[in-house]
This record gives sequence, C-alpha cells and structure tokens, in this order.
Amino acid sequence: MSEATCSQCGQTFPVRSLFDLNGSTYCGPCVQKASREAKERGQPSAYMPLINKSICARCNTYIGSSSDAVQIGSLRFCATCGPLIKDWDYPQWLKLSLAALLLLLVVALAHGRKYFHAGREMYVGERLVTAGHYADALPHLQETIRIAPASDKAVLLAAKAALLSGDVASAAKALQGHNGGYFEDASKPEVREVDSLWKRASGALEKADQATKLEAQDGKEIEAARLMHEAATMYPELPALAFAAESFEEGVAFVRKDYDAFLAIAQKQWKEHAMAQTAAALSSALACKFAISGDGSYRQQSEAMLEKARQLTQGNVDSLKVLDEFAERNRFRLESRQIISKTEYDRRFRSGKTASK
Amino acid sequence: MFFIPGPVIAALTFPGVIIHEAGHLFFCRLFKLQVFGVCFFRFGNPAGYVIHQQTEDFKAQFFVSMGPFFANTLLCVLFCTAAFLPVWELKVFDPLAYFFYWLGLSIGMHAFPSTTDLSHLWAQAPGLAKKGNLLAIVSLPLAAVLVVLNYARVIWADLGYGIAVGVLGPIAIFRALAR
Repeated sequence: MSEATCSQCGQTFPVRSLFDLNGSTYCGPCVQKASREAKERGQPSAYMPLINKSICARCNTYIGSSSDAVQIGSLRFCATCGPLIKDWDYPQWLKLSLAALLLLLVVALAHGRKYFHAGREMYVGERLVTAGHYADALPHLQETIRIAPASDKAVLLAAKAALLSGDVASAAKALQGHNGGYFEDASKPEVREVDSLWKRASGALEKADQATKLEAQDGKEIEAARLMHEAATMYPELPALAFAAESFEEGVAFVRKDYDAFLAIAQKQWKEHAMAQTAAALSSALACKFAISGDGSYRQQSEAMLEKARQLTQGNVDSLKVLDEFAERNRFRLESRQIISKTEYDRRFRSGKTASK
Repeated sequence: MFFIPGPVIAALTFPGVIIHEAGHLFFCRLFKLQVFGVCFFRFGNPAGYVIHQQTEDFKAQFFVSMGPFFANTLLCVLFCTAAFLPVWELKVFDPLAYFFYWLGLSIGMHAFPSTTDLSHLWAQAPGLAKKGNLLAIVSLPLAAVLVVLNYARVIWADLGYGIAVGVLGPIAIFRALAR
C-alpha cells in the first residue's frame, strides 16, 4: 500500500488516511490545525482526501505528488491526460458539420417556402370549410392545388368546397387534375363524402339537362318544369337550378294561358337578376298581356324591356342572335295580338325549320 | 415487431448521434465541466458518448443531461417542418424534401438522453425538488417519462418519438400560422 509523510508532524501514514491542503500533505489531526491556521492567514482552508489528488481524474493512474501532474479546477490529471483535458475543443470537422447543418436548415426553409404558402392556403381553406364558408374556402384550396395537384387532402377539400358552393366545374377540374379523379384509398370518409356530393350534383345536372331539352318541345313544359324542380331540390347548393325551375314555370303559365302568373314570375326574376334573358322574358309576358287586354301601356313596357335586353347583351353576338330571333316573334305578337308558340311561329313563317320553341 | 441491429440504425441515423453528443459537449463547456472523453460516432453500443466531470450543480447537470434532448427535438421539428408539407400533406415528389425529412427524423430519433444521463439527474432531483427547486420539480416527471421511453426503444419508441415530433410539430406550427 502507498504511504506518504505528513508535512506537519513528519510521521508516515497510508495515503488513504492523509489529506491535501493548499498543495501540502497532512495527517488527520494535523490537517484540522493547518486548516484553522490557513483560515486565520486568509488562505483557502478547504482540504480534501489525498487519495483524490493522487490519482488522475481521467485515467485513474497514480500520480502522487508528481510535479508533472496538472491541476485543473479541483481535479488533478496525469501528464498525459492533462493537456488533453485542457485542450478539449470542438473538432474542426464538427464545427464545419454544424455550420453545414445550419446552412442546410436555411436551404430547407427557403426550399419549403412555396410549400409553406400552399400549406397555409390549405389550412385556411380547411378552416373555412369546417366553418361552412365553402365559397370563401375555394380560392385558397385552388391555390394549394395549383402547387400540389396530387394532394388528396387539398383536392378533396377543394372538390367539397366547390360542390357545396354550387361550382361543379371547379370540382370537376380539381378531381380531374388528381389522377383523373382516382384516389388510392376510396374507402376514406373524405373520399366517400366527395363521391356522394359529386353523384348528387351530377345527377341534378343530368336532370336539368333533360329538363332543358324537354322545355324546348311543345307540350312538354310541365314535365320540364317538374324535372327542373327535382334538380333544384336535389342540388340546392346551385341556385341557378332553382332560378331555372322558376323560369320554367313561366313556360307552364304560358301553356296554361295564365298570363298574369307569367308576368308575375317574369317581373320577380327580372327584379332578382337584371339580365338580357330575364328582360326578354318580361318583354314576352308584357306582350302577352297586351295581346289579351289591348292595353297600350303593356306594349310600351314590352318594347322598353326588349330594348333593355338588347343593351344588356353588351354586344355579345350569340346573345344578340337569340334576342333578334325573339324580337321578331314578339313584334308579331304585339302587332297581331296573337299568342302562338315558337314552334307554331316557325311552322307558319319560317318553313318549320326549327323544332324549338 | 422486426429487429434491426443497433449499429445499423445508428449508421442510418448518424447525424442524430453526432448532434446528440455535440449537445452534451456544448453544455459541458458552457457549464465549465471537464470533459474526459468524447466519441461522436462509432459502430458500437453506445454509438456515441461524452465522459465528463460530475457536478453538484443541478442546473449544469440538468442541461448537460437534457440539453441534447431539447436541441435534437428542436432541430427535428425545424427540418421536418421544412419538409412536412410536400411529404405528408401535399404529396409532392421532391427528393430534397425527403432528404430533409430523413435528416429531421434522424435527429429526432436520437433526442432521448441515455439512462446514464438520466440516472445522474434522477439521483439529485428528488432531494432538490423537496427544497422547491423549480428545475428539479420540472425534471422529475420529464425524466420519469424519458426513462420509460428509453426502455421502450426496443419497440421503436425512439423512432416513434421522431415521427411524432416530425409530424405533430409541423401540424401544430402550420395550424397556428393559418389562424
């Protein structure tokens, strides 16, 4: 066992029973006295077991009172470990790696900017959809789809928002852009929900299409109106269907020769939507009223509405063509005071070239 | 549950190991604790280590033990946030985004302090917590959870933590930003 000498009393003791005070070795009794004296002199008075000072704190090698030993703080190290402890620094490669990591982080965040924009738009859109503001949500979700057309979530949300705000075309565009409307997991509730909405909307549009075709045929006005009402009920999110159903009621009133009802509907529609089509319908209803009553004010109003309809076409060639065709029949109605359907007019004056009303 | 040898996992996620050990070294230097040995990466168990002087200063002990946990978690959230949207939500095939996501997950996977780190903390925390040391009070449940998670590494708790942080972190950030 290693032994050392007490610097105070000069006796030899095992190292494990000795103490270190300010670099000197003391036995148990002497260290207490030396500590008090050091305190009185204003020197450090804390002492510690010599054994702690006798072995290297890193490699446990016995260093005793070797002059090569290195003191760092309260620890002592052998000559080999000392410089290593002192000079322990971040290795160059680590500094470079951490700098590269920070650079990568900047690149990652910069690279993700367009995705952050798309993601933000999607979350805003999702929040608006949850709140039931479908029309407001749609532009946000469309912006997301512009960047990420394959995103299931964004496409489904956009399709839902579009369908629930009556915008079937936008829903179709979003779904078409996602692998032609194919979703890997068709059993997902979100996919099923959009599928159900799509079927409802497309079913309603199919009915509306049938109704429009029927409405063009004489004697089918009632059936056409019924179908259009069904379409409007099936897909209430598209107000145009309800509007069309109401305008088909004009045809029903015309067939039933209920010109007051015809006029009432036409006035209501004109008030709600001032456009060339509603102006022409009102002109037609007023002409009917003139034909049966002979009241000149109806004729004046009918002609005025026709002029408004012409202004509202804003030079659109197709709309003007339709309006010119109608104007010719309306003039006949006002001048002859005869109320006949378009088919009858075509048969009499246009060699029956067209079958539509 | 399938078994993949630890060194293989460590090799696949080596950036996380290096950052974890760099975190220990950083906090040792910050609190002026002597460092006796450092290994940033090796094919062994543990994959990296920092041997340092023990301290009675609980704050130093806390940060040396837990510092890498916070640093790795933060870096995981940041890298995964940069790559989360194209990978998970937008389904955009962007190789760079996948690289960043791997980097984020690798870092997040090595966030857990080792049981040795936690044992040092665990030895001091209860006594100090009784004296009202706030850091000790906070560290007790945190260390308890981390000890459990450390043992759950055999069932991929570390990977689970990385994924959870790399998915839930960005979701929380984006939802907060979208408000």
